[in-house]
Amino acid sequence: MSTDLHTLSGAYALDALSASEAEAFHTHLAECAVCRDEVRELRDAAAQMADVESMPAPAALRQRVLAAVDQTPQLPPLVTTLERARELKAKRRFQPRLLIAGAAAIAAVVFGVTQLDTGQAPVMSASASTVFHASDVHKATVSTSNGGKLVVATSRSLGKMAVETDGLPQLTERQVYQLWTVTNGVASSAGVLKDVRDGASMSMPGERTQVAITIEPAGGSQQPTTQPIVTVSPQSV
Amino acid sequence: MGEPGLRLVPAYGGADVDLLVGKVARGDRQAFEALYDALSSAVYGLARRVVRDPSRAEDVTQEVFLDVWRTAARFDASLGKAKTWVLTIAHRRAVDAVRRSESQKRQDVHTAPDEVSHDEPADALITSEEHGAVRGCLDTLTDLQLESVRLAYFNGYTYNEVAQLLDKPLPTIKTRMRDGLIRLRDCLEGAR
Repeated sequence: MSTDLHTLSGAYALDALSASEAEAFHTHLAECAVCRDEVRELRDAAAQMADVESMPAPAALRQRVLAAVDQTPQLPPLVTTLERARELKAKRRFQPRLLIAGAAAIAAVVFGVTQLDTGQAPVMSASASTVFHASDVHKATVSTSNGGKLVVATSRSLGKMAVETDGLPQLTERQVYQLWTVTNGVASSAGVLKDVRDGASMSMPGERTQVAITIEPAGGSQQPTTQPIVTVSPQSV
Repeated sequence: MGEPGLRLVPAYGGADVDLLVGKVARGDRQAFEALYDALSSAVYGLARRVVRDPSRAEDVTQEVFLDVWRTAARFDASLGKAKTWVLTIAHRRAVDAVRRSESQKRQDVHTAPDEVSHDEPADALITSEEHGAVRGCLDTLTDLQLESVRLAYFNGYTYNEVAQLLDKPLPTIKTRMRDGLIRLRDCLEGAR
């Protein structure tokens, strides 16, 4: 299976996979350092192919883009994707954890090396547990429609939210929990939960954004295909 | 930051794109302008090549640079070069635009990728050597590798569609895309 997935690196670098295959491969990348290196190199090669097609953009476009940028807020650094969290988890045996704290307001990146006591949540990913242990943490426990419970933690100082998902019922092999951010009725995938014991963390969504969890076919979906089992407004936690 | 209206393009000189993205991540508007000047031709050229229609290519280019502005703080230099990052965003945006309008793509089925050309930009001299290396390296690919890579990259086809178009088994196309890109990569490394 993994050998088979591995050979998709070329098609992935060319954006030639279907949405579900791309998602599956993306998930695979989190666990396969060799694949990540290969994709990086193949994308470099593809980018050089693109470079040959260079063509000056119309002059008026420059003004349009610059005007649009003035209307566009910047996102804070993404502290951890689910995949990154797993990577950090894998790395921490060998080195002190590097925590990247994203402060929503100032969009500055602060690097710090720190030791955390993870005794209370030994299996949760490093970054999610960081949120749960933040000094300004707010927590809430909510019930899900499939009979589980979800603990949500937010930390304004970290500019992050995290969820503890080990209270969610186990799914079959063909299903996954998928996280979404929903703004004005538009859902964007925030990642697939590979293992409920890991939990998940993400940058603190904006005021009008809710976080929802749905059950999707393995590999995840482009858009939710089922009703959310739970929806939370992180700002009110 | 800086005086309004003052363009600092020369100040950034060769425009170290990685450095610029780092500045853009901190909200530096001038760095963003320099970044636009450094990469807009590459982004627009790729968008033109993939979506064909000039005004849609402009829209794609605008989306790409707004994405870059919004997400610069999330660019992870340890995961690759900034220029590749921007062109990866550009490619995905362009492919999404093409896949949204299947009909346009269908009508281009018989346009051999090699036949599509456009005038070289005025500053092509600077980069022509580099481009020559890429072209030379593309020549080392087998026909099937080249066709698979180009149909996917420049026409926005999935590997599934490429397999149908070229009437080849899926695993073959999947493999040709990978070994084609690997050959290109290795050749470009050797050319450096």
